[in-house]
Amino acid sequence: MLAYRMPREPSTPRIAVWRRLRRLGAAQIVDGLVALPLDARNKEQLEWVAERVADAGGEATIWIGTPATRSEEAALVASLVEATAAEYRALRDEALGAEQAEPAVRRRTLRRLRRALRRIRLRDHFPPPEAEDARRALDDLGSLVEVPG
Amino acid sequence: MIWATRAGCHVDRAACAWLIRRSIDNEATFIFVEDPADVPEGATPFDMRGADLSHHGDHCTFETMLKRYRLDDPVLWDIARIVHEADLADERFDAPEAPGLDVLLRGLSMVLTDDEVLATSAPLFDGLYEYRNRALLLGREPS
Repeated sequence: MLAYRMPREPSTPRIAVWRRLRRLGAAQIVDGLVALPLDARNKEQLEWVAERVADAGGEATIWIGTPATRSEEAALVASLVEATAAEYRALRDEALGAEQAEPAVRRRTLRRLRRALRRIRLRDHFPPPEAEDARRALDDLGSLVEVPG
Repeated sequence: MIWATRAGCHVDRAACAWLIRRSIDNEATFIFVEDPADVPEGATPFDMRGADLSHHGDHCTFETMLKRYRLDDPVLWDIARIVHEADLADERFDAPEAPGLDVLLRGLSMVLTDDEVLATSAPLFDGLYEYRNRALLLGREPS
């Protein structure tokens, strides 16, 4: 967990920290307190965010914690899962929609969606079944795309 | 010199250790600690919280090292883009090699000790250097 506080102005470092936390898939518990599942990579990435907060004149501390009840933990995980599942669904729908598109559009869409999928997977700590659906939809789209010579 | 970093070496630290031995201190000895407070006196810490040789702003530690030691070899800066993306994946650079390098180093750290990870990954970075060097000289991907 990262507990942090940053000056309201300038807003650029505050937004950079917010973007970084979002990219890491951190769950916001309350304002200024975010959590990631405990592993070496997540802990390290939060440490770098903490450094960034400190560099911008803010305060940041890293904590290792557990919710007191299983239901609190489940609710936190469920909110993360629901958000990523919605992203996977949108990605799958877009991939299915592109199957009928012009070959050039199909190719560009595939490239963009693959990048988007990779981005979602990097912040997805509890993969829902929709993750596999999205991957399969992209593979199907990939089989329709002809590589230009 | 003795250089200290966090245990559980991944891509940024492995690349930094390679860079230190190659371009900064060819007699470098590395030690691995769990907590920044465990860095012994006289050792230079890198890639850990509070160390100068660490992440700064958008830079990963490898990029910080190149700046601090004024290493302006374009091949090293080319490798820095790959290391940056493998470590941070923030899409600041277009580095299609990065996800592969990330997985290779992550896998090595699962089956080897930190010393072994550094010893095993060094030839990987030597090869990457040679490849990117030829690519820059040729202006295209070398065969």
